[in-house]
Amino acid sequence: MALQPAAGARDLNPQQVDGNRTLVSELAKVYRLWGYEEVAPPTIERLETLQAGGGIDGRELVRLATEEALGLRPEMTASIARAAGTRMAGRSRPLRLWYTGPIYRCRQADGGSTSGGQQIVEELQSGVELLGGASAADDSELLRLLLACLRSLGLGQKHHTQLLLGHHGVLAALLEQVPAEQRTAARQALTGFDFLAIAALPLPEAQRQGLQRLMRLRGEPAAVLYQLEQLLGPCALLGNLATTVNTLASTAAAQGVGLSFDPSFQPHFALYDGLVLKVVCRGTDTAPVEIASGGRYDALVGRFCGLVGKATAAGMGFSFAVEPIRDLLEATVRAGLGSHRVQGPILVAYGQLSQLPQALDQLEALHRQGQAAELLSRPCASAAEAEQQAIRRSCSSTLWIA
Amino acid sequence: MITVALAKGGLLKDSVRRFAAAGLDFSSLLDPVNRQLRVESACGSARALLVRNADVPVYVAYGQAQLGVVGYDVLREHALPVAQLVDLGFGGCRMSVAVKASSGYRQAVDLPAHCRVASKFTRCAQEYFAALDLPVELIHLAGSVELGPITGMSEAIVDLVATGRTLEENGLIAIEDLFHSTARLVGHPLSMRLDHGPLQALVDRLAALSATPAAAAIPTAPTPVPAAAVAT
Repeated sequence: MALQPAAGARDLNPQQVDGNRTLVSELAKVYRLWGYEEVAPPTIERLETLQAGGGIDGRELVRLATEEALGLRPEMTASIARAAGTRMAGRSRPLRLWYTGPIYRCRQADGGSTSGGQQIVEELQSGVELLGGASAADDSELLRLLLACLRSLGLGQKHHTQLLLGHHGVLAALLEQVPAEQRTAARQALTGFDFLAIAALPLPEAQRQGLQRLMRLRGEPAAVLYQLEQLLGPCALLGNLATTVNTLASTAAAQGVGLSFDPSFQPHFALYDGLVLKVVCRGTDTAPVEIASGGRYDALVGRFCGLVGKATAAGMGFSFAVEPIRDLLEATVRAGLGSHRVQGPILVAYGQLSQLPQALDQLEALHRQGQAAELLSRPCASAAEAEQQAIRRSCSSTLWIA
Repeated sequence: MITVALAKGGLLKDSVRRFAAAGLDFSSLLDPVNRQLRVESACGSARALLVRNADVPVYVAYGQAQLGVVGYDVLREHALPVAQLVDLGFGGCRMSVAVKASSGYRQAVDLPAHCRVASKFTRCAQEYFAALDLPVELIHLAGSVELGPITGMSEAIVDLVATGRTLEENGLIAIEDLFHSTARLVGHPLSMRLDHGPLQALVDRLAALSATPAAAAIPTAPTPVPAAAVAT
């Protein structure tokens, strides 16, 4: 009999569950303050919905062995976009929704080598979606909400927090300068940070050098947007981006969150068609920790709207990866980021089995006072032994009934 | 601190030499008495991890090393999400299909359909024969693949060929090349995007030292940014 969970699945201990719940509830408090309502998208969806119009590679989906083509959600945006376009179609816009729950992805160990095995990865996510607004104000609201969440979690300069921004439209406009037949390969090379693939593209030297320069273009947003204006000329897209960046620059600086605009950055899932983002921290380890990602996905919302709603379909959101944040903040969480985990319960102990009813009465009396208390499951010889048991069980004190 | 994953074996000497020329001295890795798997550069500003060939892209993909040096053959076989930054030019070899010299096969398409092909690089072999539209039965071996045709277990092998001497001494000949492989400098894409300069500067120095300066320093033409554009 197998004694370990399936590869990739999580088997959490009480401290980890408590840590996750603390973070999720901290985030929920912020979402609620900003007027967001909780929704619970289904864990199981049709594969057609989960693939998000080709934005998500079918190989990453966990499929179910059912008659209908069903799978487990690899993220929640597609399900929420479907619900917003159908069940919540009649509600006034914008819809402000938040969610939390596990997501499931298939991963080939060893990058898909024939000798590697398949793993199902389970992750806990918490996030928001703002549906129905396509203005720069919505982009700004989402980004300021993201910063408010980071502030509430205590993530800033100490964790080298960086907010990385990109824009699908800016990248598309820059690639317009590349011949159509080379555009897909050039896009792939830029987003994959593949210098050698760019060097191998059959392009005139000047265009190739232009792409190499583009791959190096990133940094402080206002400076990068200025450089982009030199390349693309003044346009509404860059103007809107500058407005969005202006609305968050000072808040980010005050919180110690670094901002960077990177025109060749695109997230892993190709759901997005506007602003894209990723939040990265650095702990004691060398490797950067990706804690949040998201972006604008108007076309995805449009897929679930009727012809009438398609033209005005809009959506944007982000999600936090809760467990990497928990690991990053472990020390802070232990010290009590939330307020509900201050001390251990009282241990109710007794000398004789005949005193059990009295011990249970005392236990419930403590519970009625809102005090956590647990019962010692067998009589013990002395108050001193009961104290020893309390220490072993991480209890704050002992109630001895003799 | 910059961390670099370097492969044990044939590429190590050239890798250490190239990094030394770029300003990072990891020569303690070449000391025969050294048993440390993680060493600091002589200047103390970087460290190197000494890992097996196939593990270099793994350390880089997980971000534990920002840079790594590994053969193109390994990158093709393991297909992990790492950024290919510079073709370092050394460690040149071919990924080839080889058969018994006495077999009469002179090109890959001569092989009979559903024949057995032994290889350490089964993904590369699978892609190659799929492109030829030739169905074959692949046998994964961990090494000494030349024994496949010698013992009669397989009709052909797909393996790395540097000088061809091992093939020749075992009565085999290479009949077709899948690709040419050299050592590549690879990077962790997200670390490259978060870099504020030092990582890219090191990549540029290594590119400038390489025979094929694919990522050699392209003038970035720093356009002066007016104060108004920066002020927010």
